[in-house]
Amino acid sequence: MAYQFDWGLVVSGEYGVMLADGLVTTLKISALSIALSLTLGTIVCVMRLTKVKALEWLSASFTEFFRNTPLLVQIFFWYFGSAAVLPVSWNKWLYAQDFEFAAGVISLTVYTAAFIAEDLRSGIYAIPKTQLEASRACGLSFLQAMGYVILPQAFRIIIPPLISQFLNLIKNSSLVMTIGVMDLTYMARQIESQTFHGFEAFTAATLIYLSISLLVSGAIQIYNVRVLRLGR
Amino acid sequence: MKRFAVAVTAILVLALSALPALANKFEDIKKKGVLVAGVKDSQPPFGYVDEASKQIVGFEIDLMAAIAEKMGVKLEIKPVTSSTRIPMLSQGEIDVVAATMTHSRERDKTIDYSITYFSTDQKLLVKKDGGIKSIKDLAGKKIGSAKGSTSEKNAKAAQPQATIISFETYPEAFLALKQGKVEAVTTDEAILHGLRNKDDKPDDFAVVGEAISAEPYGLGIVENESKLRDAINFALMDLWTEGKYQQIYNKWFGKDTKYYIPLTWTMELWP
Amino acid sequence: MHWDVVWNNMSYLLLGAYPKGPLGGLALSIVMALVGIFGAFWLGLLVGVFRLSKKAWLRVPALIYIEIIRGTPLLMVIFWFYFLAPVVLGKSLPGEQAAMIALIVFTSAYIAEIVRAGVLSLPKGQMEAARGSGLSHTQAMIYVILPQALFNMIPSFVNQFVSLTKDTSLGFIIGVTELTKAATQINNRTMNAPSEIFIAIAAMYFLICYVLTAFSRRLEGKINRYQARGR
Repeated sequence: MAYQFDWGLVVSGEYGVMLADGLVTTLKISALSIALSLTLGTIVCVMRLTKVKALEWLSASFTEFFRNTPLLVQIFFWYFGSAAVLPVSWNKWLYAQDFEFAAGVISLTVYTAAFIAEDLRSGIYAIPKTQLEASRACGLSFLQAMGYVILPQAFRIIIPPLISQFLNLIKNSSLVMTIGVMDLTYMARQIESQTFHGFEAFTAATLIYLSISLLVSGAIQIYNVRVLRLGR
Repeated sequence: MKRFAVAVTAILVLALSALPALANKFEDIKKKGVLVAGVKDSQPPFGYVDEASKQIVGFEIDLMAAIAEKMGVKLEIKPVTSSTRIPMLSQGEIDVVAATMTHSRERDKTIDYSITYFSTDQKLLVKKDGGIKSIKDLAGKKIGSAKGSTSEKNAKAAQPQATIISFETYPEAFLALKQGKVEAVTTDEAILHGLRNKDDKPDDFAVVGEAISAEPYGLGIVENESKLRDAINFALMDLWTEGKYQQIYNKWFGKDTKYYIPLTWTMELWP
Repeated sequence: MHWDVVWNNMSYLLLGAYPKGPLGGLALSIVMALVGIFGAFWLGLLVGVFRLSKKAWLRVPALIYIEIIRGTPLLMVIFWFYFLAPVVLGKSLPGEQAAMIALIVFTSAYIAEIVRAGVLSLPKGQMEAARGSGLSHTQAMIYVILPQALFNMIPSFVNQFVSLTKDTSLGFIIGVTELTKAATQINNRTMNAPSEIFIAIAAMYFLICYVLTAFSRRLEGKINRYQARGR
């Protein structure tokens, strides 16, 4: 059986709209998860440096556990497994909301935060210790020293790895389709099963992901050259 | 550069010429001595992994084994899901699909079907105390289904104001219902009974509503393989007239089973 | 809690239907990871060396390959090989093979970048000295540059292999009966212990990946010491 290509299918009409809707969901879930994972990752990293044993231990187990288990399993756990862990009243409220989306955001946030915390920690280690000591000597508290002196410098150092974590997050967001979030991959799969034109649908979805990645890395390149005056 | 281009072209030409030559699937199966059937592995009692033997067992597996026996070949099974079964069939990875697949006109454009081997209606599975009686009560609510199924489309057509959430398999949709994430699961009545009766507390759930659509199951066969289709159709009819079909049916859906559904339809029999 | 569900199905989680049927569960995940690591290393090495080549017809295709793969989600790569390979190849790929090829292709692009970074981080004098002592460019690469570059990058390789091990879980989506799929099969049959099942398999993945990560950290320490001495 020869395969009949029908490219019109994915750029217009019902299926074009489906892909566009999927793209919007992908962008929404990615943007929200990026913001939250950056916050959570910073908190976890700072906990590691507090010199309070319990917090250090908590932070270390958090990063080790979530970095070393597959995202897909984490997604299933948050979506199907959380019912047994959380109180009933919380669940009721959660399920009335868009729980699929929320579970997707939680999984992506927690997973990526573990990586960001590690990147940030190596960024902080690259800053001489005397900086923290000097800021403490000036009368700043630990958190003030972190917030005003150490973190701003560390973030500047880790911008490249941070961006690649964000790009990974956008790509990883394709996994949330397994719990029924209607993102770009979900829609491509839907079109495949409704029309059997998987080739066109997956090509379109791949090109969209690729454009997002290339746009972001292109923008970083320009930022590096123009603003930081790095490179050639 | 030029040599590289030549090499690439050569590879492409080779790949394209490897496209299926005119084949007779039935003869191929006879020669191999093996019929490869795609079956569900998460769908009690049609096809699921048995806890003790760890093998895939179920109604459709037994039925396919009987058909293979009639054809004089061995049966090999491969697990499929609602969304992988048609691609796998078209790619020749499996010879026949026996995976709770409704015979629809849309699908018939891509593949062929045997005569109906199981007949059921699409209904709703809900929590008994949830207050849902029919599809009309589901406006603005979430309904669970499986990716690539007809139920998904039918439900959307019957209740445009509901959100359909599609999972990889129906048990996942049922789990979502149990946990209150969706208000109803919709698919074929036989599957719904299977889900409900498999649960620890079947009485908490009920199958409700008028039939959303008729769901005749057919075995999926690659397009334009009439010899194979004949062999399968004849085997099915023979199984029915010999009473072997009813025997398999009763083993999985009979009165003494957890999935009791009375046999209310008759197979189309050709003289 | 129903931890008994996990215990009763432990052998299915670990081995699948084996020995009475095909290998599955954790054992299949490990096999996929090992095959993937082997294939991705060699393919990645090749692409990485091409990427560094001075010849445009080697460098440009390698660059395009790396950028396209790294810009695409792994799930898409898997779909490509599973649903679409037949359209291109005229031949279907069973789920296991499609998943393994996709894992190799996907990971090789990242390995190629690691190889490149490793080679670029070596002092330029190394290449010049090797060429000066009469080796051809290829010989210099194979005998002088790559051994050092690859040695320095061992920790990055191990990290990439940890990712690959986690990524085998995506085989689930195209029906490969590896650990995640085995877990969902059990979950779909029992339906009363999702948390327990997913916690159990998370612990299994964690164990493997953590051992690898810890190993990589120790190596990193050793390599750093070695380099410090050398300088």
